[in-house]
Amino acid sequence: MRMLIQKITGLLLFLFILSFISFCLLKLVPGDPVRSMLRVDDVAVTNEQIQQMRAQLGLDQSVFVQYGYWLQNLFSLDLGHSYMTARPVFSEFIEKIPYTLMLTGTSLLVMMIISLPLGILSALYRGRWTDHISRIFALIGSSIPSFWLGLLLIDLFAVKLRILPSMGEGSWQHLILPSITLGIAMSAVYVRLVRASILESSHQEFIRSARARGIGKKRIFTFHLMRHSLIPLLTVFSESIGSLLGGTVMIEVLFAYPGLGKWIVDAITARDYPIIQGYMLFMSIFIVLLNMAVEWSYRYINPAIAIGQRKKGATS
Amino acid sequence: MLLSFARTLRYPISLLIIVLVLSGCTSPSSSSTTSEATPKRLTLLFNVQSNTIDPHTDVNYTASRAGISETLVKVDDQQQLQPWLATSWESKDGQHWTFQIRPDVTFHSGTSVDAQAVKDSLERVIQTNPAIRNALHIEKITAKGQTLQIVTDTPLPQFPSELVHPNTGIIDTAVDAGTPSGTGPFVLAQFKPGIEVDVKRNPTYWDGQVKLDEATFSFNEDANARLLALQSGNADVVYRFPVESLSQLQTDPNLVIESVPGLRAHQLIYNMNHTHLAKLPVRQAIDSLLNRQEIVDAVMSGQASVAKGPFLTDSPFSPPYTDKPFDIQRARTLFAQAGYTVSNGIVTDNGTPLTFKLITYQSRAELPLIAQLLQANAAQLGIKLEIQQVDNADEYLAENKDWDMAIYSFITAPRGDASYLLNSVYTPTGGLNYGQVKDAQLNTLIQQLNQTVDSDQRNHIAQQAVEMIDRNLLNSYIIHPNNFVAHQKNVSGWVTSKSEYYMLTKDLDVN
Repeated sequence: MRMLIQKITGLLLFLFILSFISFCLLKLVPGDPVRSMLRVDDVAVTNEQIQQMRAQLGLDQSVFVQYGYWLQNLFSLDLGHSYMTARPVFSEFIEKIPYTLMLTGTSLLVMMIISLPLGILSALYRGRWTDHISRIFALIGSSIPSFWLGLLLIDLFAVKLRILPSMGEGSWQHLILPSITLGIAMSAVYVRLVRASILESSHQEFIRSARARGIGKKRIFTFHLMRHSLIPLLTVFSESIGSLLGGTVMIEVLFAYPGLGKWIVDAITARDYPIIQGYMLFMSIFIVLLNMAVEWSYRYINPAIAIGQRKKGATS
Repeated sequence: MLLSFARTLRYPISLLIIVLVLSGCTSPSSSSTTSEATPKRLTLLFNVQSNTIDPHTDVNYTASRAGISETLVKVDDQQQLQPWLATSWESKDGQHWTFQIRPDVTFHSGTSVDAQAVKDSLERVIQTNPAIRNALHIEKITAKGQTLQIVTDTPLPQFPSELVHPNTGIIDTAVDAGTPSGTGPFVLAQFKPGIEVDVKRNPTYWDGQVKLDEATFSFNEDANARLLALQSGNADVVYRFPVESLSQLQTDPNLVIESVPGLRAHQLIYNMNHTHLAKLPVRQAIDSLLNRQEIVDAVMSGQASVAKGPFLTDSPFSPPYTDKPFDIQRARTLFAQAGYTVSNGIVTDNGTPLTFKLITYQSRAELPLIAQLLQANAAQLGIKLEIQQVDNADEYLAENKDWDMAIYSFITAPRGDASYLLNSVYTPTGGLNYGQVKDAQLNTLIQQLNQTVDSDQRNHIAQQAVEMIDRNLLNSYIIHPNNFVAHQKNVSGWVTSKSEYYMLTKDLDVN
């Protein structure tokens, strides 16, 4: 219980500091959304009207005052409205997040389907043709720009074979091409990571001990070797989830997929401060929770970590 | 030991790979599949995505473009105002306006469109959209039957043209604007933010029979992906495909390419506070370095026309323009006549070589290329142009004073009236007057325009103002990019409008 309270307090403090820093950084960047809001490129606007609007939004006040207002609204669970669409930030976020989570999940699945078998095979057949193939795959996969790979896949599956939709959303088929595009790009890195992790674990003392105790090979592989190899992979895995949650702009644009990446890039371009702040807040909560989950999973995957932590707690 | 693991794992891994391959080979549901039993439907793929369909706030006008909402006044391709939901309008002083609202029109919700409904809709847009509030200057609206009276807080002779703006679309305010109920030929079926709008035929459309049963207005911001969607049959009409694929598309017997000059003008802005650029001969010399035809041919692949002034030559507010040929020798002569030294391939002022900072931005890919062409021609003459790309040109040009010229682009006459350009760019307080133009004579003319109600007189004054801009070369207008569209051959009734406000119309059909 005490640990939980400590964690929650830490999380709140972290969110406060992060939101304040991001707010200040946003305001340090020159420009504001007023010209976009008043559509200077579409309707006649005077400089006086621009100044009036700036004052109306409180953008002429100090960054501390503006942050204070934002925080005050946050306490009443109001993240504000988008300057561009006039819609609540929370509604827009809730609209986008399922798509992003779905694409993140399927991309990671594709990545695992490709990288685990290839990585394991290249570790098991180290120095042989399987290993060479996986190395070539990793080289090609990390060299191909993902938007180009996406275009190639669209050309093959949507234009030539006409078996998959080229863009959009609505069915599971729509997820296949963007997921494969992202999955291949990520698996190029993971294949080598899986390989290295398995090879490193296979030389550990506890594997030899397990064999000496007469434990079956399958069991050693599944419950000892793989389990131990998972720990470094999990760390990178959680980082990949974080980057997928906001960093798939190119793929979203290419496949007209309505995720968070394009949404936040557009908001940054238009200086849509309420959207940017809301996104920062949600993402930081999500990433902190994700890291906590990964930390917890270490203890499950390798009980030695939990025992070590308990001993450390007892002695301190 | 690892090899024996490998043998054990061989079969599950092979199985996984087979599953992966097979999962990619399942046939999808194709939107392009049609048969006689299926309804007539069309998919239009547009190049900008929208996260809202509220006609009053959406900066991409999706509801108007998808045929859901309509405005009181519309603009035709000759840039003339035409009645739409208003059958007529009049004002003697440009401040007190009377509009007659078209009878027998109903919203998609079934409610009749009367003056009160229009008043409610206009009041909502004023409340939700600060840009439109500023543009309309409405002080008071009175509704009685089908007669709508509007008083503006200042004389605003261009008021009807402001009502062309799609954000003034008339909707039933009793219905949530997130699922707008308009008066157009299509009724909203579903809106997926950032993806598409699905619409179906409005069976009681006031302007006649709607030919399509259903349509989808989709978004994709990647030009190559739009092209592939057209080729794969996922889209029937595609906006702005990559120009480099034009020749390939033109040879495809199943496709039709349409291209019309747009209302946008790419231009060169001069910072009038700059010592050298404040001088007319210097601006004229730099204008002579713009090879407009080369830009049309090489940069735009022919999908543009040479700009002789801010508006298209056939516009009612365009005067007869003078030609502006590309002529480096003329530029050299102009510099020499203005007291600069042109020798050894360098233009100098009292021994100091001329160097200018040229701003451009990436969101229109051709703008940096135009900047580079100008830079190359300037270098040939002996002037150094330092190109700087910025993320947000509006912000940069407004907030910074350290730039000399800028390659910029905007729609100069979006709604059938010249006052937007003249007031925004050429009045001292104009929001787009980045070049700090302060021309008293021109300003007087613009103020005269702002007081003139008669449209012929307005056009005449606008022509005089444009002549003055042209004569003093306050900006160099470079090209008008085309609006170009490719569609499947079985699509009929498609019109590529100059304004791009109207796309899904009642006449659009698939055969």
